[in-house]
Amino acid sequence: MAISSTSSKTSRRAKLAAALLSYRGRTEPRTDLILGLAAFIIFLGIWYVIVLTGLVSARFLPLPGDVIGTLFRLLGEASFLNDVWISVARVWGAFFLSAVMAVPIGIWMSSYRIVGSLLEPVIDFIRYLPVPALVPLLIIWFGIGEGSKIAVLWMGTFFQLVLLVADDAKRIPREFIETGYTLGAKPSQITKHIVLPAMLPSLVDNLRITLGWCWTWIIVAEIVAANSGIGHYIWSMRRFLKTPEVMAGILAIGIIGLLTDQAIRVWHRRHFKYL
Amino acid sequence: MKQNCFVDVRDVYKDFGSDGPAGGAIRVIDGVSMTIDEGEFIVYLGPSGCGKTTLMRIVGGLETASAGEVSLAGEIVTGPDRRKGMVFQAYTSFPWLTVLENIRFGTRYRDDIGKKEKDDIARHYLELVGLKDYGDFYVNRISGGMRQRVAIARTLAAAPEILLMDEPFGALDAQTRDFLQEQLLRICRLERKAAIFVTHDVEEAVFLADRVIMFSARPATIVEEIHVTNELGKERTEETKESEVFFHLRNHVRDLMRKQSGLKG
Repeated sequence: MAISSTSSKTSRRAKLAAALLSYRGRTEPRTDLILGLAAFIIFLGIWYVIVLTGLVSARFLPLPGDVIGTLFRLLGEASFLNDVWISVARVWGAFFLSAVMAVPIGIWMSSYRIVGSLLEPVIDFIRYLPVPALVPLLIIWFGIGEGSKIAVLWMGTFFQLVLLVADDAKRIPREFIETGYTLGAKPSQITKHIVLPAMLPSLVDNLRITLGWCWTWIIVAEIVAANSGIGHYIWSMRRFLKTPEVMAGILAIGIIGLLTDQAIRVWHRRHFKYL
Repeated sequence: MKQNCFVDVRDVYKDFGSDGPAGGAIRVIDGVSMTIDEGEFIVYLGPSGCGKTTLMRIVGGLETASAGEVSLAGEIVTGPDRRKGMVFQAYTSFPWLTVLENIRFGTRYRDDIGKKEKDDIARHYLELVGLKDYGDFYVNRISGGMRQRVAIARTLAAAPEILLMDEPFGALDAQTRDFLQEQLLRICRLERKAAIFVTHDVEEAVFLADRVIMFSARPATIVEEIHVTNELGKERTEETKESEVFFHLRNHVRDLMRKQSGLKG
């Protein structure tokens, strides 16, 4: 009895090891969760060791606990919350502007040859211009107010998004469109009733990914020229060498990003049940 | 020349790679003329890539002929519309809609009927193709054979004057295929709809057709028209495939097909 249970235990262990190490092997979700947590704990462990052994001074690398403690303290401070709110508003405002322009233009590009042929080379070119390099120019044009922030985010997302949308629309099987025609639909109805619903799941995915990029560009924009926002907060804390505050600011961005991303994923799963 | 035929294909040529019949383009259809009577089930049979699908798409208005013209009920075909219903080999039922919603989509652009009637028609065709119990299923949850039945029902719900089918059972297994062939015939007889069915499967062609149009390898010309109904009659059942007449017809068509595919040995 005891022997058989031990042997079954070892064989289960061997099976698990084999599954983990085999090429494209399968694991249970629980195993994945445990592995993910383990990596996180090891990461934090190394962090503690480095700081506690004095390898790096706590002045430059505060303990994880201090960073989290700082973040909790900041969450109680109105000025910090205001910075967070301003950044979130800028990100969402610019992202919204980008999306309402990119979605119809991208669909037009895929629907009408002339729009695609006209716009694609230009967009492809602008897409490769490094956004940080455009920041000085955008400040000259739009000043250091909200205009330049929105412009930076828009430059960083619109041109990418419009091509993603056009690609999504083009990927719809030709037979879907032809089915629409043979059922009596006009081109505008095909766009509304077939193209849009067909591409919607991948469109939402692309919007989610683009929204993530906005957080990169907002920090760039706020560090260069701003007197509010999380980027500005991080940058000003740096001046006083307040490393815990700097790291708490970064952590706050990470958490906001993660939460938005997960919220959209959940919505995606609920809304596109047929996938 | 035949007068008052329902579909009239007159001297159709098609070249790919250029708009005119001249030039260095590839000719896929080389002067085809044929007619279809009302309620007639036509099968286009020919080697793969011979241009039979292209000809059917020209009838449907989804391609334009390089020369020649097609008329449907006396009107020249200029583009696709609801009068020419199309079923493709690829699954075209919409994944974001349920089975019933897909079938109802067929009535969406009809202005000859009201909302209530559209609902009734959708239910009617749902039952006609035998999917009554699957109305609320998303199409990704049902089998390929069922998806093709959804596509056929959706096309019929649009009330087309002719049904165009491009190897709709091409991706299905043999049993499902046999079953759907019978279902399709039953429905087409019931609806009294003219149909063009494209296939390269000889047995399927003979079983379904009132008339098989045998095409040559590319560029397509008509090799022979086989008047199946004259010999087999309109009624087709499982036993039809066991009958001697069917064997005879099938062997004849198979030999034609082998010759065209260059497999005659």
